[in-house]
Amino acid sequence: MGRLLALGILGTITREKIAVPKVPKVPWVPMGLVLTALFSGTVAEAQPGSITGTITTSAKGVAPIRVTIDQKVCGDQLPDEAIIVDAQGRLANAVVILTGVKGQHAAGPMVMNENCRFAPRVQLIAPKANLKTSSKDPVLHTTNAQLENGRTLFNVALPRPGLTITRAISSSGNVRLSCNTHPWMRGWMVATSEAAAVSGADGRFTIDNVPPGSYELRVWHEALKGAPQKVMVTSGKVTEVNVRLAGGRD
Amino acid sequence: MWGAWCARCHADDGSGKVNEPTVTVEPMDFTDCQVTSAEPDADWERAVAKGGPGVGLSPEMPGFEDSLTPEQITAFVAHMRGFCKETGWPSGNTNFPRPILTEKAFPENELVILPAVSHFSEEAAPGITEGTFKVVYERRFGKRSMFEIGVPLVTTDAFLTRTGGLGDFEVAIKHALYAAGTRIVSLGAEVVLPSGDRFKDHGNGTPIFEPYLSAGMTARDWYVQTQLKVEFPVDRLRASRAGVYNAYVGRDTSAAPNTWTIGVEVNGEIAFPLQGITRHVVAVTPQVRKGLTGTGALAASVGMMVPLNKRESQGVRWVGYLLWEYLEPLRARK
Repeated sequence: MGRLLALGILGTITREKIAVPKVPKVPWVPMGLVLTALFSGTVAEAQPGSITGTITTSAKGVAPIRVTIDQKVCGDQLPDEAIIVDAQGRLANAVVILTGVKGQHAAGPMVMNENCRFAPRVQLIAPKANLKTSSKDPVLHTTNAQLENGRTLFNVALPRPGLTITRAISSSGNVRLSCNTHPWMRGWMVATSEAAAVSGADGRFTIDNVPPGSYELRVWHEALKGAPQKVMVTSGKVTEVNVRLAGGRD
Repeated sequence: MWGAWCARCHADDGSGKVNEPTVTVEPMDFTDCQVTSAEPDADWERAVAKGGPGVGLSPEMPGFEDSLTPEQITAFVAHMRGFCKETGWPSGNTNFPRPILTEKAFPENELVILPAVSHFSEEAAPGITEGTFKVVYERRFGKRSMFEIGVPLVTTDAFLTRTGGLGDFEVAIKHALYAAGTRIVSLGAEVVLPSGDRFKDHGNGTPIFEPYLSAGMTARDWYVQTQLKVEFPVDRLRASRAGVYNAYVGRDTSAAPNTWTIGVEVNGEIAFPLQGITRHVVAVTPQVRKGLTGTGALAASVGMMVPLNKRESQGVRWVGYLLWEYLEPLRARK
C-alpha cells in the first residue's frame, strides 16, 4: 500500500521528472504503474526509491524592480525573482542534486524572453547542451551566456519576437544568462549529469527512480546557500528530506 | 532600426552616452572620426554580426548574425560611419595589414619594433653577421597625416670583431593624398640623420633625404601595396643616391581581426655611386603576419628576405616586426 501511495504522489506532484537510464522504460502513467504493481506478483528486491521534500528558507523575498526602460512592454514594476519565497518560507527555483546517481537533463533547453524576464528562470540542462533562446517581446533583448567565473560563452541579439537562436554551450558548468538591455533579467542553467530537480512554487521537489543506497544531496540556489545532506534511500520507498537554506544572501 | 535597437547603448547620436546605460562598459564614441574612420568595414561588420566577443571587444555587445541579413549589417555600419560629420578622413577600407619592408600608405598610431638579422659568409673569409633592432613610433596628426621617429640599434660581427651601437635616427612625415574606395596613395618624406658610427658601419655618416610615394589597393581578396623611394645623400662620397622599390601582395586567411595574413614582397634597390657602376639588388621576402590579441591591436610578422641576385655579396636576412596599435584596446574592458 505504501508503494501505491508513493507512486500516486509521484504521479501527481512531481514537477521535475528525472528518468534514470538503469530502469526499464515504463510509460509515465500512474495508472499503468499501479497496474504493473498490482499484477506483477511478488516484487523483486532492490526496487528504486525516491526522494521528495520541501526547500525552505528564513530569507525574505526581494523588493520588486522598478522598471524605467521599455515600460510599454515590461510594465512599471516586475517581481525580483532572485528569491521566490512564500509566506511559509517555502523556496522556489532551488536545485537539489543527488551525488552519484546519473540523471538526464535537457540537451536542447529553451529559454523564452517574455515580459522582460527569462522563462524559466532556473532550469536543469545536460552538460554541453544546445541552448535555444527566443523572445515574445517587441523590444531588443540580448541573451548573454556566461559561466559562473564570468567568461562569456556567447551573446546574441533578439531584436524582434518569434526568432529562435540556437547556440552550443561549449563548456560544462552552470550558465548565467543576462540581458544587456534589461539589466534585471537573469536566468540560470544548472548543468549536471546527475539526478536533480528544481523546486516548484510550493518549495517541493522530487527525484525518483533512485537505487537504494546512501547519498549526498547538494543544493544550489542563485542567491542562497545550503549545506549538503545525507540521504538514505530504501527499496521502493519514498524518503522525505527537507532542506533549509540560510537567510543571508551571498 | 538604429533608434529601436542600437541607440539603447550607442545613443541616437552614436556617442555612446545615454541617460540610463544598461551596460557597464561605455561604448565607443562613433562621433569621433578617428574612431569611426580608422578600421575597415569588414571589422565593423564582424563586430555587429558576431558581437563584442567576435572582435575581442566587450561581451556586452550582442551578435546580430542570426537576426539581420548581411545587407542589413552593411547598412548599419554605413549608418555608424555617418556619425562622423567631418569630411576628409581617409577610409579605414584603405587600412591594410602592414608589410615588413614596404611602407604602408595609411597613417597609423603605432609603436613598431623591427628586428632584423642577416648572416653572410663566403669561402676563405670569416662570416659577417649583422643585426638591427629598430623602434618606430608613429603618430597621426590632422585627418590624413602622420609623423614617425625611428631609433635603430645596430650590431655587427664582421671579421671576428663585434661592435654595437646606435644607428642612424630616422624622422619622417606621411600624408594621404588620395583615399577612396579601397585605394590609397600617400606622399612621404624621411630624413636619415648620421647618428650612427660610420667607421663601425653603424651609419652612413651623412644625412639622407628620402621622399617616397606609397600606394595600396585591394584586388579581389588580395592586398597590393607598393612604395617608390629615392634617396638623396648630402655627401655622395659617403652614401649613394639610390632608388628603392617595394611591392607586396598578401591576403588574410580568415575574417577575424587576429587572422593569419600571408604575403610576399619584392624589395629592390638601384644605387648610383658617385664613382663606379650602378648596382641593382633585388630580393623576395615571403612573410606571415598574425594578430596577437582578439582585437588585432598587437600583431607580429616574420619574413625571410632572400636575395635574387648578387648572391656572392649578400645573404639571407630574417626580418619581422611586433606592432602595437596603442590607441586600440588590446582586449575587452571589464
